[in-house]
Amino acid sequence: MCPFLSELFPRRTRTISSNDRRSMYRRIEPERLKKWLGGLRDRVEVLAPGKENGLWTFRRFDGLALPRGFQNSRLPPKALFLEPLKALFEWKSQGDSFKLNPFPPADGQRVIFGIRACDARALRILQPVFVRDYEDAFYLRNLSRTLLLGEACQVQCQGSFCEEMGIDPQDSGDCDLFFREISQGYMVKVLSERGAALMGEGDLFEKASEEEWSSARRKIRGSRKKPFFDLERVRARASERFSEESLWQRISATCINCGICTYLCPTCHCFDLCDLQTPGGAVRFRRWDSCAFPDFTKMAGHNPREEKWRRYRQRVSHKFNFFYQNFQAMACVGCGRCVAYCPVNLDLREVLLEVAG
Amino acid sequence: MNERLPEGNIYQPHLVEIIKVIPETWDTRTFHIQFQDAALRETFSFFSGQFAEYSVFGEGEATFCISSSPTRMDHLEFSVKRVGRVTSALHQLNEGDTIGFRGPYGNHFPLDKLKGKNLLFVGGGIGLAPLRSLIQNVLDHRLDYREITILYGARSPQDLCFKYDLEAWFHNPSVKMITTVDVGDKDWKGKVGLVPNVLEDVAPSPVGAAAITCGPPIMIRYTLKSLERLGFTPSQIWTTLEMKMKCGLGKCGRCNIGPLYVCKDGPVFSLEEIGYFVSDEF
Repeated sequence: MCPFLSELFPRRTRTISSNDRRSMYRRIEPERLKKWLGGLRDRVEVLAPGKENGLWTFRRFDGLALPRGFQNSRLPPKALFLEPLKALFEWKSQGDSFKLNPFPPADGQRVIFGIRACDARALRILQPVFVRDYEDAFYLRNLSRTLLLGEACQVQCQGSFCEEMGIDPQDSGDCDLFFREISQGYMVKVLSERGAALMGEGDLFEKASEEEWSSARRKIRGSRKKPFFDLERVRARASERFSEESLWQRISATCINCGICTYLCPTCHCFDLCDLQTPGGAVRFRRWDSCAFPDFTKMAGHNPREEKWRRYRQRVSHKFNFFYQNFQAMACVGCGRCVAYCPVNLDLREVLLEVAG
Repeated sequence: MNERLPEGNIYQPHLVEIIKVIPETWDTRTFHIQFQDAALRETFSFFSGQFAEYSVFGEGEATFCISSSPTRMDHLEFSVKRVGRVTSALHQLNEGDTIGFRGPYGNHFPLDKLKGKNLLFVGGGIGLAPLRSLIQNVLDHRLDYREITILYGARSPQDLCFKYDLEAWFHNPSVKMITTVDVGDKDWKGKVGLVPNVLEDVAPSPVGAAAITCGPPIMIRYTLKSLERLGFTPSQIWTTLEMKMKCGLGKCGRCNIGPLYVCKDGPVFSLEEIGYFVSDEF
């Protein structure tokens, strides 16, 4: 591990210790929050939920109004960290000269307001992938240059199973500040020093108590009383039933290999490296790829995941078995995007139930 | 391992120059390369069994093992069978052309566990390339090892790679060299038959031995079975596996066999390691 990089990109910003509990909570009125976020734009890029082409996304905050009716973005905010298409370096050849120019990682601080607990967790889940053995400066710089201002969910998202995945949709340890909406504004939990620094010295944020924070917890509309499945059992059974071909064939029967589950997934991170030729040179890109695609593992002469059931088994096993073995975390946060937007209604929750069966 | 690239850009290759191209067969070529950066030529090191990512700029990147030995460091060698876009582009290149090199990546053959043993190398086709690095390495420290047997097979005499090495090993009195082809011709003097079958005919003793094999997946699969029939235990057998790779860094997510990533946990595995978990994906 390179000490230089580690210094530049701290694994995590220092979190607030329990001694500082009393100063952990704040309250802010909606108008003041809007003013504060708007003011931040002078110093940093401020991203907040907004609609583009009828779909929620995180985009530059216009300072005019706080988002209303936001549940979650269609594409996960991972796209702001692991970009769908990222130019890594270019080369130019002219006559005998041949020059390779690396592109530096993105610069400039930014703030994402409104990120959900699930998506914030997903960014942390992915972190060790991009740290272990070889540090991916592109991902790590994106993490370190971004402050996450999370917001508690009010409504259970379609297809979601975040609580089964151990995520509290109304709290987060993965953000810098976390907001809970109350009738006259927001309660704020301060989770990192840089989050505290971002709030500033002024009087926009009022001090609040732990009790006030706790009482701001709301019942989530549409939440289930009982969990859909037992996660520990899923993990154990996914491993035990890996070789059960008939199970995976049955489960994956309706899958059409479109890959949308992987593109919408906040923890799917598989990528391809590819070249684009330009006049007198070319650019190397890192771009999202999907284990659902038949040519994902296609080599000269053979393909170890030629059959669809092997590819579907790979996706489920990677998330709920292999990733856990390698990083002691599941590569799933239960956001429900893959369930809600699967064109053939292949419901991962039902798949996991069956695997656990 | 090697110096970090500017900006910590782990995807950025070093520039290397092709200094020699050797046609091995009708579809396979060996490239001798040298770093453009003189300092890197001095400091670069690797182990037998490791691989690298090679770029043909504008065409893409592909994974090949380093087929030369770390005991012969005046240049690096890698061998390429023409099968796809990048390999075809590589075959178009000549001496003096520039390509990209990222590496070395992956683990390597366990020299410490092979020392003092009888070594059995079983290779097929272009699968001889990673074994060749180890064979040269072992021959350069010949006294550290006991008997050396090399069994190498290809489809036909025309498909044999590294003929100059096969020749040298054949004439090396301290090496038992066996070549076999699936289909011979009138000039063919070696054996005729599939590698696993010839292996069982030759029947090397497993006592105090270690077997190292690499070749097409189907050959590896049956060679492992033959070795077991000959009495080799899984801990005596090493193989180097091929899987589709892009990054070589354990990040791009495609070269896994079960929880193991061939690019980082491999490409060299003992049968003991891969025997206990899924083996239906290679």
